[in-house]
Amino acid sequence: MNEAELDEIYTELCQAVTACGHEAAPELLARFALLAMHEIDDTAALRRLIATAAGRDADRSTARAGGAPEPRR
Amino acid sequence: MTRPHPGDSLPLRMNREFAAYPFKPKRYDARLPSAAASGETRSAAVVIVGGGIVGLATALGLANHGVASVVIEADDGVCVGSRAICFSRRTLEIADRLGILPALAERGLPWTGGRSFYRDVEVLRFAMPHDASQRLPPMVNLQQFYMEQFLLDAAERRASLIDIRWQTRVTEIVGRGDGVELALETPLGRYRLRSQWLVGCDGARSAVRDAAGLKLQGTSYEGRYVIADILLRSDRPVERLAWFDPPSNPGSTLLMHRQPHDIWRIDYQLRDDEDAQAAVEPRNVIPRIDSHLRMIGERPDWAPIWVSLYKANALTLERYRQGRMLLAGDAAHLLPIFGVRGANSGFEDADNLAWKLALVVKGLADESLLDSYSEERVFAAHENLRFALKSTVFLSPPSHGFVLMRRAVLVLAPAQPWVRSLINPRQTQAIAYAHSSLNQDASAASGFSAGPAPGAIAAEAPMTLFADGAARPGHLTELVQPAFTALYFTAGDLPGSFAGLERRLQDAAIPFRFVPVLSGQLPLAARPHAIDSGHAAFAAYDARPGTLYLLRPDGHVLARWHEAAAADVERAITRTLRPPGPSKERS
Repeated sequence: MNEAELDEIYTELCQAVTACGHEAAPELLARFALLAMHEIDDTAALRRLIATAAGRDADRSTARAGGAPEPRR
Repeated sequence: MTRPHPGDSLPLRMNREFAAYPFKPKRYDARLPSAAASGETRSAAVVIVGGGIVGLATALGLANHGVASVVIEADDGVCVGSRAICFSRRTLEIADRLGILPALAERGLPWTGGRSFYRDVEVLRFAMPHDASQRLPPMVNLQQFYMEQFLLDAAERRASLIDIRWQTRVTEIVGRGDGVELALETPLGRYRLRSQWLVGCDGARSAVRDAAGLKLQGTSYEGRYVIADILLRSDRPVERLAWFDPPSNPGSTLLMHRQPHDIWRIDYQLRDDEDAQAAVEPRNVIPRIDSHLRMIGERPDWAPIWVSLYKANALTLERYRQGRMLLAGDAAHLLPIFGVRGANSGFEDADNLAWKLALVVKGLADESLLDSYSEERVFAAHENLRFALKSTVFLSPPSHGFVLMRRAVLVLAPAQPWVRSLINPRQTQAIAYAHSSLNQDASAASGFSAGPAPGAIAAEAPMTLFADGAARPGHLTELVQPAFTALYFTAGDLPGSFAGLERRLQDAAIPFRFVPVLSGQLPLAARPHAIDSGHAAFAAYDARPGTLYLLRPDGHVLARWHEAAAADVERAITRTLRPPGPSKERS
């Protein structure tokens, strides 16, 4: 995926999230995540992605900037 | 940046706390043409309404081809206030041909990139395309009033061809079969002026556009920005700085640009619930800017100069020609300021239009050549809108989906380099007219593995330039002149047929230059030529001995051949000036 394609698909996802309404946005993204898991089909990679999305493997500045949840102790 | 929409501009009255721009515009008196006192109608081949950047650039472009114009300007001098400040490499190339590059280089602040922050964490460092082969920086910051004054100074040096009528308002525009008649009003009286061609460079509320019966179409954005110029002594480098949701202004987006003379541009986004009138009052503006300057460690003794409100518009006409009327700049399109396409695209409009209109006025081209101005620049406006909208949507997310996703991008960006391209502000670049009807000999042009294709602008390359018996280090884009230019790549051979071509075009008064680009040092006669001893141009153009690139007077490639014949070049120029088939829109 090149930059233009990333841009295009990002915009489509933004539009889909907007179209489904505020309340349903987490559900849409959860469904999207499940479908992506199936396509990616690589448990090690998926574990890494979950950790990154949860802010667990990110550096301190990322977690601080994003207000991502603190890692579980 | 494009000038804010006039209706949205709310300049504040100076008070004790405000500083002034270090620039006093010259004031120009109104003047009646000698015979106008009697109400006699005067005439001109070209009348340009609007003496701003685009109007003056058009007049200078016409003058480069020896075509005279009358410029009608309602004001009495150049604009002041927070208008365009970023001028692109492409604009500098055009400005060079208009004779103002030395002034821009002396006064402007060059820059090559910028940084973006989420809260107080750096999330993007970007660089615009730039390398050692370039003659000009990718961007220069300079206040619009300087740019206009430089253009005006150049126009005054060509007073025999450019007649500027200050303090003159257009009160009526009437289309005639073979031209246009204007009713003009000055403090000294009224008169009428007839013109074969009318160019509307009269900005967002163009009277020429209304007279042509054309309407802007597109979108207006809800996001509103306060735009402020301030006086601040700082050693920060010249770069584009952006903050998303900074601690100094939570929830807002803030942009910062350095300008000459310790002036800084600060733009920040208003919340949806903020009142626009209140938002530009000093009691609301000053604390927010102060908070930000404190956050980034700047000194406290800054002063505001100018504050206005901006709302993004993304609008264009669907055509820029209506019979004998032509539209350019903000009169033709209003682009969001993000990505700095407003004034820069106005320069490109003027550059595209000037040579075509000049050749039509001189009877060297069919007037249908002007349809290609509309075709190419409307295409460019749509491309500019596409890029500007991406920047606008990221800077001012229009809905909750974009807000949510943007937060994810910004949070991931420090550790995930791939996502940073979404934050890149996509600064303006020259638009290639890839599908222009002017592009010639597509099949010959397709056999290249590098170099600008027909419709693209000439690529840069350092080379040694020979002219008037002297050599100097220079660059390829300096070879673009107000003429069709054939760049003939050669090891030394110059086929005799090209001399015949030069003679025929010269006899027909068609501006044409044949410029050999030599791969090695070979003495050539008096003819101007270039030596590409580093092989940079040969490589950048995928050229071999016998390759020819034919450039238009605006520096866009018209055609290219690996094995060029003089007849190919002649046919390409002839077809450009006299397109085969019925001419559209003969008034």
